[in-house]
Amino acid sequence: MTAQALETRALVAGYERDLPIVRGVDLNVRAGEFVVLLGPNGAGKSTLVKAIAGLVPIHAGAVLINGEDSTFSPPHQKIRRGLAFVPQTENVFATLTIEENLRLAADILPNNVRARRIDELYAMFPDLAARPGRRAGQLSGGQRQMLAAARALIVAPSLLILDEPSAGLSPKIAAEVFARLQAINATGVTIVLVEQNVKAALAVASRAVILVEGEARHEGSAAELADDPIVAELYLGAAKAGA
Amino acid sequence: MSLQVVIDGLVAGAMIGLGAIGVTLTYSILRFANFAHGEFIAWGAYFALAVSGFLGVLAPSLATPIGPFSFGWSLPIAALGAIALTAALALLVDALLFGPLRAKGGAIIILVMASFGAALTLRNLLEFIFTSRPAYYAEGLQIALRFGGVRATPDALLCLGVAAIVVVAMRFLIAKTAIGRAMRATSENPQLAGLAGVDIRKIVRIVWILGAGLAAIAGIMVGLLVQIRPTMGLDLLLPLFAAAILGGIGSAPGALLGGLIVGLAESITVRLIGAEWRAAVAFVILVAILLLRPSGLFGRPE
Ligand SMILES: Nc1ncnc2c1ncn2[C@@H]1O[C@H](COP(=O)(O)OP(=O)(O)OP(=O)(O)O)[C@@H](O)[C@H]1O
Ligand SMILES: [Mg+2]
Repeated sequence: MTAQALETRALVAGYERDLPIVRGVDLNVRAGEFVVLLGPNGAGKSTLVKAIAGLVPIHAGAVLINGEDSTFSPPHQKIRRGLAFVPQTENVFATLTIEENLRLAADILPNNVRARRIDELYAMFPDLAARPGRRAGQLSGGQRQMLAAARALIVAPSLLILDEPSAGLSPKIAAEVFARLQAINATGVTIVLVEQNVKAALAVASRAVILVEGEARHEGSAAELADDPIVAELYLGAAKAGA
Repeated sequence: MSLQVVIDGLVAGAMIGLGAIGVTLTYSILRFANFAHGEFIAWGAYFALAVSGFLGVLAPSLATPIGPFSFGWSLPIAALGAIALTAALALLVDALLFGPLRAKGGAIIILVMASFGAALTLRNLLEFIFTSRPAYYAEGLQIALRFGGVRATPDALLCLGVAAIVVVAMRFLIAKTAIGRAMRATSENPQLAGLAGVDIRKIVRIVWILGAGLAAIAGIMVGLLVQIRPTMGLDLLLPLFAAAILGGIGSAPGALLGGLIVGLAESITVRLIGAEWRAAVAFVILVAILLLRPSGLFGRPE
């Protein structure tokens, strides 16, 4: 049996008890995979990944991270099991400096590797290293996404989940984000990416799952889905209706 | 004489400020106004009274005054015990009352109401155990030192010094340490803090311990310089909130500065208008700040 980086079993989750938003989702992500999660606005993509991360109440089903049952673990425990999650919005601490954002995340690492890891992330994102004392609230959209990604990567996660990291970025910077994700995936990090930018996402991902009304409706290799007119029709049509 | 007003105000303000730091910390992490915070001040004072009394019986030499001060070694030792006991009390109240309410995801107003209930219970309990008769840490009267025209007791000067040290230590803790970073992160965005690896429940416990510990110190100072009564926390409640809001909710140095301003305003009012107006001062400041600058002097406007 190959190792599953992430597994959800008949997952039901939502903000209120009697109002499930995610309605029975089975996800299976193998270690090293790059999976993109697509779907129209309001389909429940963010709710699904937030539930996986422990931010939205789970009503039924199970979440396994690297084979370990993490259904009801609080976020700080999931992080220690190899998960890193970059939310769609408010994904940096605006009142903390760049340096403090990174040190906070590094605090769960052993004492002797913290400083080195921060330096490695600065090397990866030189923009951040330029002014470490700057408050994150003053950064541009692109810099914020970099800081959010650096914050997530600092603990060397095995599974990285990102919710629309390209939202609000210029096409050029968005392309850079996708290229970086591909490079991170190439180092062995499993990636689950929620995206609206279907074309760009399918170009970098190996597999896609399409979520509609809280259910995983379609699944296939990125290449298959990119060429599937019916899926494109359904997805784009629903997206228009939702907008 | 005007300098005397300033000294009196600073001493009162230091005690208010220490209490207000606790209010501001609980508010910024737990997001509710804890009206039981004053009771931690009173319980801190009584814990110290009980422990120092016990020590005095155990070893009478500990009750002999140290140098120019009115109290013996039993009080500083008892202060450490009182800090620990008050912190334990706060954790107990959280475990029995606030924690379960938070877990149910109830509205803020429910927490605030619960804190009123907790305040009433804690206060009545104090009165039941210690009666409402005022108590003192030491019997003897202290002779004030004179500096030109200004008088201050050694006890009062010591309290000022301790308050200053405590505030500098708090500032360092919040600004420079891993715990402080985690506290600030949790205050801004608890969900993201969890994702960054912060154990929110641990931060909540730390905040109760810090807030209650500071409250105990403030209570001992009030007990030392004024008197110990079951209602001492209730009397401080309005000044505490005025100071916390004046300083900007969430800002520890702001809370201390707010405390000093409220303390000064009180002592000036008492001198100029009369002692019966003291209680109104904090209320006027509170209303004025809510109308003029709700984010406080140090807070960030939303
Ligand atoms: N904090 C919240 N409380 C209550 N309901 C919410 C909350 N956030 C989202 N919802 C609801 O959950 C449903 C799914 O929203 P979600 O954000 O998961 O969709 P999404 O697929 O991520 O959409 P988008 O593409 O716009 O990001 C929507 O009906 C939304 O109104
Ligand atoms: Mg979303």
